[in-house]
Amino acid sequence: MQFDNVVCAFCGCDCDDISVTVENGRITQARNACVLGKTWFLSHSAPAHLPVARIEGKTASLEQGIEAAARYLAQSRYPLIYGLSSTSCEAQRKSVELAEVLGGCIDCCTSVCHGPSGMALQGVGEPTCTLGEVKNRADLVIYWGSNPAESHPRHMTRYAVTPKGMFVPEGRKGRTVVLVDVRRTPSARTADIFLQIRPGKDFEALWALQALANGRELDKAGAAEIGLTLEQLNDLADRMMHCKFGVLFVGQGLTQTRGKHFNTSAAFLLVRALNRHAKFALMPMRGHGNVAGVDNVLAWQTGYPFGVNFSMGYPRFNPGEYTVVDVLSRGEADAALIVASDPAASLPGKAARRLAEIPTITLDAHESETTKIAKVAFATATAGIHAEGTVYRMDNIPIRLRKVLPSNYPSDEEVLSLLLARVKELKAC
Amino acid sequence: MTTLTLKLQPKAPLEGEAITPDNFLGKPAAAIAGLPAMHGNEPALLGDFFQVDGDGSEEIVLVGDLRRVKSIAAGMTRGTVIIQGDAGMHLGAGMRGGEIKVYGNAGDWTGAELAGGKIYIRGNAGHGLGGAYRGSRRGMNRGLIIVDGNAGNEVGAVMRRGVIAVAGNAGDFTGAFMIAGSLIVFGQMGIRAGAGLLRGSIVSLKPAELLPTYRYACTCRPDFLNLIYQKLKREGMSIPDGCATGAYKRYSGDFNRSGKGEILIYDQR
Amino acid sequence: MLKIINGEIYDPVNNINGEVREIYVDKGQITASVAGGRTIDAAGMVVMPGGVDMHCHIAGPKVNTARKMRPEDHRLDPAPRTPFTRSGVGKTVPTTFVTGYRYAAMGYTTAFDAAVPPMAARHAHEEFSDTPIIDKGFFVLMGNNEFIMRQIAAGEHEKLRHYVAWLLQASKGYGVKLVNPGGVEMWKSLGNARSIDDEVTGFGVTPRQIIESLAEVCMELRLPHCAHIHCNNLGVAGNWQTTMDTMKALDGRRGHLAHVQFHSYGGRPGKLFTSRVQELAEYVNTHPNLTVDIGQVLFGDTTSMTGDGPLAYMLHQISGRKWVNVDVENEEGCGIVPVEYKDKNYVHTTQWAIGLEWFLLIRDPWRIALSTDHPNGASFIAYPRIIRLLMDREYRREMLKHVNPKAIAKTTLPDQDREYSLYEIAIITRAAPARILGLKNKGHLGVGADADITIYDKNEDKEKMFSSPRYVIKEGEVLVEDGHIRQETYGRTLYVSPQYDPAVEKDIREYFDRYYTIQFENYPVQLENYLPRPEEVAID
Repeated sequence: MQFDNVVCAFCGCDCDDISVTVENGRITQARNACVLGKTWFLSHSAPAHLPVARIEGKTASLEQGIEAAARYLAQSRYPLIYGLSSTSCEAQRKSVELAEVLGGCIDCCTSVCHGPSGMALQGVGEPTCTLGEVKNRADLVIYWGSNPAESHPRHMTRYAVTPKGMFVPEGRKGRTVVLVDVRRTPSARTADIFLQIRPGKDFEALWALQALANGRELDKAGAAEIGLTLEQLNDLADRMMHCKFGVLFVGQGLTQTRGKHFNTSAAFLLVRALNRHAKFALMPMRGHGNVAGVDNVLAWQTGYPFGVNFSMGYPRFNPGEYTVVDVLSRGEADAALIVASDPAASLPGKAARRLAEIPTITLDAHESETTKIAKVAFATATAGIHAEGTVYRMDNIPIRLRKVLPSNYPSDEEVLSLLLARVKELKAC
Repeated sequence: MTTLTLKLQPKAPLEGEAITPDNFLGKPAAAIAGLPAMHGNEPALLGDFFQVDGDGSEEIVLVGDLRRVKSIAAGMTRGTVIIQGDAGMHLGAGMRGGEIKVYGNAGDWTGAELAGGKIYIRGNAGHGLGGAYRGSRRGMNRGLIIVDGNAGNEVGAVMRRGVIAVAGNAGDFTGAFMIAGSLIVFGQMGIRAGAGLLRGSIVSLKPAELLPTYRYACTCRPDFLNLIYQKLKREGMSIPDGCATGAYKRYSGDFNRSGKGEILIYDQR
Repeated sequence: MLKIINGEIYDPVNNINGEVREIYVDKGQITASVAGGRTIDAAGMVVMPGGVDMHCHIAGPKVNTARKMRPEDHRLDPAPRTPFTRSGVGKTVPTTFVTGYRYAAMGYTTAFDAAVPPMAARHAHEEFSDTPIIDKGFFVLMGNNEFIMRQIAAGEHEKLRHYVAWLLQASKGYGVKLVNPGGVEMWKSLGNARSIDDEVTGFGVTPRQIIESLAEVCMELRLPHCAHIHCNNLGVAGNWQTTMDTMKALDGRRGHLAHVQFHSYGGRPGKLFTSRVQELAEYVNTHPNLTVDIGQVLFGDTTSMTGDGPLAYMLHQISGRKWVNVDVENEEGCGIVPVEYKDKNYVHTTQWAIGLEWFLLIRDPWRIALSTDHPNGASFIAYPRIIRLLMDREYRREMLKHVNPKAIAKTTLPDQDREYSLYEIAIITRAAPARILGLKNKGHLGVGADADITIYDKNEDKEKMFSSPRYVIKEGEVLVEDGHIRQETYGRTLYVSPQYDPAVEKDIREYFDRYYTIQFENYPVQLENYLPRPEEVAID
């Protein structure tokens, strides 16, 4: 059986033109998908072998799992819900309510990827656009601290570089592509211009470009400090100011290096300054398939895009205080519910170790470092393959996920609903 | 005087915003012990964690390791709070008047968005000292903060008025997006000091690496610094020899904003 | 079942002006009689239909980006969880839950978001699913839609009509919205439309043609609501001429002019402006095809959010405050900037006065709806204060002492003695917006109407009276008592489903393949997934 126009929910591109072939209950082909997407579709179609619930490693029924998990959570004083970037908005909405009922913290992968972009938005605003604007108009495309060839393989071919657009009818030939990074990545092959800057000098480079856009002059020493020549900087600034429609894609090379939200603020301010000369937009290269969705759900339900705390019965926000790494490494969290994420493998040591010390509960389709240390582990259906739902692309455009395979497992949304209902009973609210 | 001695270490963050002279004034010890304090998601009382002695007056003394106690003296308008030990996050945040003294370290966002009063930290301060919360248009908007030790990143971010003095080192982005006011670091500043500075003065007694959007203007002996140093001395801060009368190199910037701000670097020659 | 007795009824649709009558409710509707059920004794109280806000910004990508942008705003107004309600934050861009509760607590039971790009319609519906109590719907942004402009340029009026119908169906929207027609498209290359006769770069059409064509299509499709127009040149000195040109361009076709306050400025661009309400109001007074809502400004901090990207950039340039711009492929754009209206400021005082002049100079209250263009002029929470300004001449005079005297002297406001009656207030806050929207079951208390009812304690202070109704009844359920939400329910989403010729889909699909980044098949909003309580409003 073939399903057309299926969404690949693996990365923030959420390409929705995949043709999925299902044979004998397995996905055998995912046409149009990139290498990451193909792996995602094919690996999730393996036959089920995990029990629906495990309590301290022992097989349990869904009901037993819910009961155990609900008790851990209801007893906790400072529970943390984390992950959520690879599940549906419907599951995310349940998670926020659960965090509210528990009076705990809820944080998502944004916190350790593009949280600094969110903080830059809060500081200075954000001139941005949807991906189709890039396709239809952009004649200057800049990737900064991002390696789309490996992290978002179809970003360039489907949205930003090769496609023919309304005002860029010649496609690739109509665009200048610039890559700025501290090392030459595979993405450099596609770029017309590759600028290698010194590690840790992103802020200075962006700040210098803003100065040029503001009509200031720079000296050679300033450029050398950044690792570029003055000519290179002037040339880039000149291209930025004289394009028809420019776009700056910012990656984790900016958000997760020293300076973090100031790096992104510098990028945002540069683009703001450029709008006096040319139409210019920027976009964070969001990683996971629905990390933009969880920001949106959190924002409409709590007012804040990540790192939200409900201890006082209402939402509070403060990155560095209620964010995952902080509440874990300070030893504040006394229980954790991890949805579709593997923080035990990805967080810094101290934070990851805390997960093993406290009752950790997981919802995941796969076995992971985190499910291995979990007190209660639920195996769930994957949104976009076994379950329907909504995801938001990196440009905040929502798309409906399809269900292409049946599943014996409940969806994240279903498990969270059961958990929520039981926690409400236990907490008598 | 009211003395609060920590008798039980909180397991989760304890919201200590009830601990202000405004709140304690005129209350007997039992009433103070009965003030609410959220312990994580659990409603608790100050008396669950603190031994409360004395009657509610304008002077509060806190004793113990208070790193888990947040927002002590936040928003206070009068009186004195003395902390014998380390204080948690948001100490004196949004404070409008009175005085806080910490004989120990203070956590992140100490004196954030301060609107008046004085904070003196004998030990180190965390990030966001006298700074702004996310999205805020202004950080500290009056008052005085002194730190004898070091301070973290974003000291005085988006500061509008007032004085911050750090005897030790300061982290990155000192005075970032500062609107006005004075910020003095006796030790070493981290990178990118004065990024986005609009007006106001950042003073460093040690050499500093400046952003490309700063320009050397002149070498001068600013009178206002002398006044600030005298004020700091009166508050009990020890001022290194020579810096009050010495020369400073003036760099103007940040030229990505108005260029009307300045970074003054002590000229040690 | 429910019976309301002894209350003074204000139901302008049915010509009831303060008479004491009984109202019966059964199965969510007003009925002729009931046997049994609860009785509310409304002696000494005022009974009105639930309020209807026909122009606000409460859901969708623009609102949510504004939420993300303003943590400093949220911190000032936390809303804790209660046994009946979810938590959230309020202030200028409240969360979805708080939006629903606060409308309801103020006696409003229906609200329409004024600007949703169809590409993000699913997002608006998701937020609506989390917006409790009130019924809601949205207008679909079409004034800068490139497919639409191409059809107009090519003279393909039929195809245009089919496309508009398809787009309304695909987005599950309620009406057709134009925001700075043509100008937002031009903003995509840093331009803007400066008059309704500027040519939209690259498309060979003018704002005038867009206005005429879409107004015509709305009438041809027999949509319950007419074209909803945010004119070109919002906020620009001298824009009254553009507004006048737009009204004249409608040439007898039905049209609703949104937040006219922002479009009534004399003077020259770049200079201080003056009020030109008199000329505009007189034109509206004499042209029954036109309706307006006001977009009243109140002093204080707020968040400006608009589909008008170049306008937001202008506001950012003036204030230097943080600025969001989002251009949406082939369809629209939007801009967001925090704004503070100050009573001593010349411009802000002029805007405040212009809004009030509109209220006081329009003779027929049936063609005017109260709005702040929430949150652009002020939060919807300010409606009770505006009501007091309209009903209480002395209060208005008192306020005049605190505003910029130079500015106020140039308006007619100090000369206006008119005071609104409760009956007229019932018109501009319920009956008229419901009628303008074409909602037959709302805005009145006749048999068959939705049992959305607000009961107020009488109070000389009209602001107090209208801020905390004694009872708010939605679909026959008493949800608010004494200012508190007693029960959480979820209202309906109102949408229209006009017919179109499926043959048009071929062209649209082709267009999608070339210029969109989402597949044609994935574009339409699935009714069953995104509208938990759909109500298709019939087309007559």
